[in-house]
Amino acid sequence: MSEDFLKSIRIAAGGMRAQAGRMRVSAENIANANSTAATPGGDPYRRKIPTFRTTFDRELQATTVQLGPVRQDQSEFRTRYDPNHPAADPRGYVKVPNVNSLVESMDLREAQRSYEANLNVVTSTRRMIQRTIELLRS
Amino acid sequence: MATSDVPIFSMLRNRMRWHQDRQKLLAENVANSETPGYRARDLVAPNFDSMLRGGVRAAASAGASTGVGPVRTDPGHIGAIGSTVQNRFEVRRNTGLVATPDGNRVNLEDEMLKVAQNQMDYQAVAGLYQRSLGMIRTAIGKKA
Repeated sequence: MSEDFLKSIRIAAGGMRAQAGRMRVSAENIANANSTAATPGGDPYRRKIPTFRTTFDRELQATTVQLGPVRQDQSEFRTRYDPNHPAADPRGYVKVPNVNSLVESMDLREAQRSYEANLNVVTSTRRMIQRTIELLRS
Repeated sequence: MATSDVPIFSMLRNRMRWHQDRQKLLAENVANSETPGYRARDLVAPNFDSMLRGGVRAAASAGASTGVGPVRTDPGHIGAIGSTVQNRFEVRRNTGLVATPDGNRVNLEDEMLKVAQNQMDYQAVAGLYQRSLGMIRTAIGKKA
């Protein structure tokens, strides 16, 4: 009878996994916010964007969420005038990554919020299972 | 006589199953709260009137109290055990107006509220079930 409850927990766990993956990508972006190229005029770190995908899990008979392919942000790199930098082009400009730390931290916050929501579902379902087991006592 | 032959137990069990199915749907909604184009779903609350009518009709045709469940209109029908198990509940897609630009229609706050409510209702039903068991226990002369 608690089959369905276990399914709920597994669906929520899938959501937590996806959100954790998203946090990992955001962490990569923040960590590499200053990673410039090693060669003069080369491209710096390009911001990564996590994507979500709905999949129908035949075993669970439910739509679960999965982390899709991690895409790259195709927006322009910003440039900074720094002629002494090893990655500076002949005009003295260095390309810096297209990472906006404000956007990343908002993304992190959102992932955290969704993670907690999934955790809430797990806690609630666990209580329901516990209540079912308590029927056996008494 | 199994406990499922007692109408109150089969009714409560049906209700518990409904809460289980609902919990599963809510878990799906929360997990997909940021998937583009995903629309939240929920179970339609069981309608007391229609269930009661179905139950009364079944009781009249079978000549016994079968509680809430599918109706046996032909002697060739194979009755489910206890003949009160309703396997599928009606699913409704959320048609709320609020959608994010990527077409997602999950309101996380709403879902959290529903999860909490579902849990509380389930616990109430489980409590009723326990009480009913206690009554049977009293009837057979054991101290509850």
